[in-house]
Amino acid sequence: MQADPFHLGGRTFTSRLLAGTGKFHDFGLMREALAASGAQIVTVAIRRVDLKAPGHDGLLDALDWDRLQLLPNTAGCRTTAEAVRVARLARAATGTNWIKLEVIPDPRYLLPDPVGTLAAAEELAADGFIVLPYVQPDAVLARALERAGCAAVMPLASPIGTGRGLRTPDLLATVLDGAGVPIIVDAGLGVPSDAAQALELGADAVLVNTAIAEARDPVGMAHAFALGVQAGRAAFLAGRMAARTHASPSSPVQGVPRLPDPEVPV
Amino acid sequence: MRVNGEAHPYTPGLTLWTLLRDLNVDPARVAVAVNDDFYPGARVPDRDLKDGDVIEIVRILGGG
Repeated sequence: MQADPFHLGGRTFTSRLLAGTGKFHDFGLMREALAASGAQIVTVAIRRVDLKAPGHDGLLDALDWDRLQLLPNTAGCRTTAEAVRVARLARAATGTNWIKLEVIPDPRYLLPDPVGTLAAAEELAADGFIVLPYVQPDAVLARALERAGCAAVMPLASPIGTGRGLRTPDLLATVLDGAGVPIIVDAGLGVPSDAAQALELGADAVLVNTAIAEARDPVGMAHAFALGVQAGRAAFLAGRMAARTHASPSSPVQGVPRLPDPEVPV
Repeated sequence: MRVNGEAHPYTPGLTLWTLLRDLNVDPARVAVAVNDDFYPGARVPDRDLKDGDVIEIVRILGGG
């Protein structure tokens, strides 16, 4: 297969699998899983220092950030103002201007606020951030986020951490149709075939965390997701066959050897 | 004043560096906001603080 670079935020990547760093039992396992995933873009969260036990947890030391693009998120933010503030703290804490924008007022399903997300995206893009907003698969919103200057749009497959896979492929197709920026399916992917499905439909990349971290063998599952993404992308580039209502034999219908049967005319 | 969402006693002459020292926070691995001013840990200025300032000290954690 020819080189198939993935352009995002002014950088070029070879992997179309973005990986999260949450929920791993230890840094050693996380490091091995991230290596097996081949991910070149890795998400982290921003949290207050516990003043009763100050210090850092060592995540920044556990990975080689010269080789990885750090992607802080605004997880936990419920409003535009909170997300903008956390994005600015993230930029100060990491030195990167990339931000995975999450504005999520709903704790039960962790569904994003489209209005608040768009407002935050406009403010952060104007402030020089590379904004990657997490949203529902909504084509009108996706185009608005593009106009606001977002570097990508990240529609969810299903609610965060559910592992239920791509529940609205038809809606994702409307987001992909005419998209002017990369579309990265984020949240809800459970198995590599979910990732393959997203890439087959034309998504540019996927982001996976829980499905890898909560696998019985996170390293093995990270490798499996890397293969799923590669398979899906290769299939998208190759172009799928048209679906039919009725069967169509693959073998020639003429000249089938038959035993004489008095009930069937030869 | 408030630090990371909690009330914190203000003492005259308090600066950002002395606050971090009193809290036993190594500035190198955090980011600090004083109201709407945001500072990387390595470049936290030793600015005077005022009663009523809102300070946040954050770090990186695993997340998705």
